[in-house]
Amino acid sequence: MRLKREDLYSRLEPLLAKVSKPSRYLDHEWGACESQDGPFHACVIYPDVYEVGQPNLGLAILYNELNRAPGISCERAYLPWVDMIELMRKTDLPLLALESSAPVASFDLVGFTLAHEMACTNIVEALDLARIPVRASQRAQDDAIVIAGGPSVWNCEPVAPMFDAVLLGDGEGAITLMAQTVRDGRARGLPRADIVRNLGRIPGVYVPSLYQVVVDQTSTRWGYAVPIPGSGAPERILKHSYQDFAQTDPVCQKVIPYMGLIQDRLSVEVLRGCARGCRFCQAGMTYRPVRERPADQVVQAVEKGLRATGYDECSLSSLSTTDHSQCKEILTRLDSDLEGTGVKVSIPSQRLDSFGVDMARCVGASRKAGLTFAPEAGSQRLRDVINKNVTEQDLIDAATNAFKNGWRRMKLYFMMGLPTETDEDVLGITRLAEEVLQVGRKILGPRSGVSVSISVAVFVPKAHTPFQWSGQLRMDEVRRRQDLLLHSAPDRAIRISYHDAQTSQVEAVLSKMGRAGFDLIYAAWQHGCRFDAWTDQFSYERWQEAARQVGIDLTDVASESFDLNARLPWDHTSPGVLKGYLQREWRRGQQGVTTPDCTRTSCTGCGVCPTLGVHNQIEEARS
Amino acid sequence: MSEAQQLHRLRVRYIKAGRLAYLGHLEVLNTINRSIRRSGLPFSVGNGFARRIRLQFSQALPVGASSEAEYYDLMLTSRVDPAEALRRLAEATPTGLAPQQARYLPRKVPALEAWANRSAWSVQLDAPGATVEAWDQALQALVSEGTLGYMRGDKPKTIDLGVSLVSCQATRREGGLDLRLDTRSTNDGALRPAILVGAALAQPQMKGVAMEALRVCRLGQWHESQSGGLVEPLAMEPDAASGKLS
Repeated sequence: MRLKREDLYSRLEPLLAKVSKPSRYLDHEWGACESQDGPFHACVIYPDVYEVGQPNLGLAILYNELNRAPGISCERAYLPWVDMIELMRKTDLPLLALESSAPVASFDLVGFTLAHEMACTNIVEALDLARIPVRASQRAQDDAIVIAGGPSVWNCEPVAPMFDAVLLGDGEGAITLMAQTVRDGRARGLPRADIVRNLGRIPGVYVPSLYQVVVDQTSTRWGYAVPIPGSGAPERILKHSYQDFAQTDPVCQKVIPYMGLIQDRLSVEVLRGCARGCRFCQAGMTYRPVRERPADQVVQAVEKGLRATGYDECSLSSLSTTDHSQCKEILTRLDSDLEGTGVKVSIPSQRLDSFGVDMARCVGASRKAGLTFAPEAGSQRLRDVINKNVTEQDLIDAATNAFKNGWRRMKLYFMMGLPTETDEDVLGITRLAEEVLQVGRKILGPRSGVSVSISVAVFVPKAHTPFQWSGQLRMDEVRRRQDLLLHSAPDRAIRISYHDAQTSQVEAVLSKMGRAGFDLIYAAWQHGCRFDAWTDQFSYERWQEAARQVGIDLTDVASESFDLNARLPWDHTSPGVLKGYLQREWRRGQQGVTTPDCTRTSCTGCGVCPTLGVHNQIEEARS
Repeated sequence: MSEAQQLHRLRVRYIKAGRLAYLGHLEVLNTINRSIRRSGLPFSVGNGFARRIRLQFSQALPVGASSEAEYYDLMLTSRVDPAEALRRLAEATPTGLAPQQARYLPRKVPALEAWANRSAWSVQLDAPGATVEAWDQALQALVSEGTLGYMRGDKPKTIDLGVSLVSCQATRREGGLDLRLDTRSTNDGALRPAILVGAALAQPQMKGVAMEALRVCRLGQWHESQSGGLVEPLAMEPDAASGKLS
């Protein structure tokens, strides 16, 4: 039942003194869109606490676009922390949107970001707290239309039963069309099912209720989705790709928070997409084509953004910023323009082979804390398998540049359990770290306090990547290799940290299952799972109980590999990358054959450009 | 003349009001830092590792407490007319932390946080059964004990009430008490009104009285000179500024 749109702040306020970090719930931030006249009301939700969700650029883009659209207002909501959830349930207060303090269940349209798999129980919690029926099939005619979008839509089957529609691909343009479709449908008095069906006519929009799951000998045990006969739904939904990325507003953070966020800085998206072709990387496959903003636009945006927001730090964000064809120019100009202002410019991750001397000089010019690189694998053989296309020499060169320019701490990201990995590859991780350490000591001196941190994640096979057929390494074997690694680093200046193998296993399960995964998610939530991405909240035992309840074994599901020709649970949703290309890349990976980056050489045949009618947009030739 | 000698100290009084009473001290600091950057004033940046704005704040206000008189000192590299500076700051600051007054002070004055050691508070205690007599007796019992023990997070703390509590006047109103508190901070800490109220309510004289809500507002801050005179932060004269009050 749709709740009444009313300001319930007076009921929230008495709870503020009793919870941790009350500033999560205050609203009234600088730049928040306080005028919420509607008449059509949308609410975008990040299913985690404020400080995790507020920095999300995707939601900021949608918030701005919807609030610019005539007759449409858009507010934000986040999942309250567990102490506040408890008090809200005790005082019978539903989940509220920030700007109006009105119940989320009073809105016309509610949109969730699917940021990662481990937020799935939080979506159940948010809907339940909001008092919106968790399953789309149980919603009444006048209930809010609940949609989703974001980076983790590429196997959305396990969460699909919660959504009336899911937007695949770029939100720009599509989100307003979706809101208008719901608004017009309501104005015409259409039944809910018709409004949802109309949403399915928008390019890139997937309506789960129009599909049924079939399990047969051509599929995995999780089946595949086909249109319900007579529904008129397409067999395959192609993502929405926004070619004119460089025409969009580069400064999309308008709301400046009071509390410290996990990423508390101005963030300018300098390019979208990456064509390096790392075979484990879902974002690299699903955000194609590559689209760059021109250097002039980036430099002006940073300066304008800093003035408008008051931030003293700026991140040039993207999947691979140092790949921007004008990266050096951008960094050099910003370095000179921002001198004396105390502003730090940072890049989220540096590619080893494109981190040159000039970049080392300009990045974080005034504050040189740590620098992060991601070799991903410890041996050249395995780096070729995953198509990382960086060499040991690239790492040594990048480290040399960094140490010569004042850095003392280096962080290296690796993955464990990649297809074909051997003990030799694992030991290669510490060997690389030792080499980097020696480079640092040679340049800065033996007692200079140089240190190298290694962070090792467990490989999780993801949909629409060349490794989507792979099973995850079993947990006992992960632990054995972790021990092997730990005992191979004698130098105390090398610090090793791991991602939790249990969390990674649940992530793999949710990445591999089809629509049946929802029963597991719901059971897990009923057993008390929520905030699974928080190490102090995650409970593997509860997930195991839930798995037993629905009759599956987590290890069994996570480590299962799929036949290369099997129909997969996510085949009906497409980022434009051809399955044939992924199969070819899988085979080349097994043979250790690399594939080049199409923004530097010629087309490698992934299929995105002809399928979606798009193209790479590069400002200058990439080196 | 070095760069440091050319700096101008602008002292600003601001409020903490409405919902923003729930901001923590660090959140207020961050917000004002960003407001200053947005204002476009010629702020000075320190030379430390983090390259922060040269900015000093008065004593931290508890989460949940509002205020009519918070202060910061901002170092500027050139002199902007105070009214103009105030206008630019006001335009760039959330209304709940709006600046009210601004004035230049001599560049060298004692640090605000330690200097402004006296505060006045208005405390509204919603507790239907509370009477002035019981409150006064409970408070008297607390004061006669000398020190007050309390928890700050997980850490046990004590504060000397004889030094930190200057005065307290209670008046009865419908549904509770209105308190006017005067407190003094020392190197050992500052007395938080909510701590005092909590301790008083735990005294036998207040037995059966339940607190429904508490609203705390700082009304003013001053420097207390050795002779006991109070100096307004914005009324500070050059002599007072250098700590030569007699």
